[in-house]
Amino acid sequence: MELCLFLGCNTPAIRPDVERAIRASMPVLGIDLVDADNYVCCPAFGAFPSTDTDSWLATSGWNLSIAEQKGCDIVVQCGSCYSSLRMGREHIMHHPDKKDRVNELLEPTGRRVEGTSKVRHVSEVLYKEIGPETIAGQIKKSLKGMNGVVQYPCHTLFPSEVVGFEDSARAPKGMRQLVEALGANVNSYSRELQCCGGAGGFMKSTPEQAIEFAKSKFDAILAETQTDFIAVSCITCLMHMENVQNTLNKRVGEERYKIPVFDYNQLLALCLGFEAKQVASITNVSRDSVLSRIA
Amino acid sequence: MDLKGSIPDLWKAIYNTGDLHHCFNCSTCISGCPASFGDPPLLVRNLARKVILGLEEELLNDDTPWACVSCSKCEEMCPMDVKPFEMILSIRQWQSANDETRVPPSIVEIYKRGYTQAVGVNTELRDSLGLPELMTITKNPEQLQMFREMLMKTPVVSANDYMFGG
Ligand code: SF4
Ligand code: SF4
Ligand code: SF4
Ligand code: SF4
Repeated sequence: MELCLFLGCNTPAIRPDVERAIRASMPVLGIDLVDADNYVCCPAFGAFPSTDTDSWLATSGWNLSIAEQKGCDIVVQCGSCYSSLRMGREHIMHHPDKKDRVNELLEPTGRRVEGTSKVRHVSEVLYKEIGPETIAGQIKKSLKGMNGVVQYPCHTLFPSEVVGFEDSARAPKGMRQLVEALGANVNSYSRELQCCGGAGGFMKSTPEQAIEFAKSKFDAILAETQTDFIAVSCITCLMHMENVQNTLNKRVGEERYKIPVFDYNQLLALCLGFEAKQVASITNVSRDSVLSRIA
Repeated sequence: MDLKGSIPDLWKAIYNTGDLHHCFNCSTCISGCPASFGDPPLLVRNLARKVILGLEEELLNDDTPWACVSCSKCEEMCPMDVKPFEMILSIRQWQSANDETRVPPSIVEIYKRGYTQAVGVNTELRDSLGLPELMTITKNPEQLQMFREMLMKTPVVSANDYMFGG
């Protein structure tokens, strides 16, 4: 199956090792990735969706048209990009007036949007299209003997009507089963579904409170689990959950928060035999404790 | 609450949907909201009230819609289908249209280079990871020009064209 890879901004610019992990692991599992040439920012919710519908949906339409020309669906890792593209497509598909307006704006650029390409999150492709059993059968190394916790990207859960793929957004199972497929034992904890708080303007407008909010999550992880790592599937979750641990350590004056964070595709690529220096090399929280145990 | 100077039809300018009026103040939207822990807190229910009551001054000066993390939990949980996250975006849009200081700088970045980050310039790092060169819009002047011209026809960009370097 062929999918059009939408990278967004943060992954290729700041964490290209995650991009490498996605490009390395997906083809092994039968997903061929084609690049979205000339794509633009999804648009981020804080950008055009916060100014007007025309620029918001024209930008969504621009990106959707790229995949439509290639005749395949889009695959995205960044939670915000996923949600923004899904919501944009939803508006365009369900409101003929908006679709007409978008196509009017796109026309001089030689583009058109029909809605033929769907937008899929990489964790959904892994969970629903490929499946945990296939993954378990393909890996060469495993996370056996290790405990993990999972961070569900809220942008893949809510609103379930628009973005969802889980049977229940209140009790998602995908990330857990995907990590279990790599041989790890997944621990549950009380604040598992709590947002990391890293997206949008919360950190920018009230950083003190946003950090406290994240602390409550990390404190629950430390108190209630034996975890060796956190598995995420969103670039913002990845960067925020690393950065916030360093900030918290400075506050408490000791190295209390040092749980390695991995994008799921990084763990997958490592278990498929790809090298850590290519697929999991950029980080602010040492991953050695996990990397040394993958066998 | 001072309702003098309230504009009964303001909701039509901000969030023109009948769903808004189904809001019954239950606060479900607040209880699951990360930004409700902020200071000042983002209180979605109160914003819905202010829109319904037409409190123009208060709404124009309210920064809290910008603290939203876009998690859409409120959208999922609202029992009355008010679509509170869409309301948040609509309030921001209305503020941006009526107060140029609200226009997010990120749209200027995107207009200029297509992205909020400098995508595709970290070639050395990308090479070392074995990654291909990215065909970004920044490297394709013709496409970038068309993208800009498209945006220039949309309301907030055209109303503030001076921000975009002409
Ligand atoms: S959501 Fe973030 S990462 Fe995704 S394209 Fe937009 S700005 Fe870039
Ligand atoms: S947990 Fe935070 S960063 Fe991650 S998807 Fe949710 S809002 Fe986005
Ligand atoms: S959850 Fe919905 S109905 Fe309840 S206060 Fe919020 S917007 Fe109103
Ligand atoms: S989408 Fe925004 S307003 Fe709604 S719960 Fe999330 S942060 Fe709060």
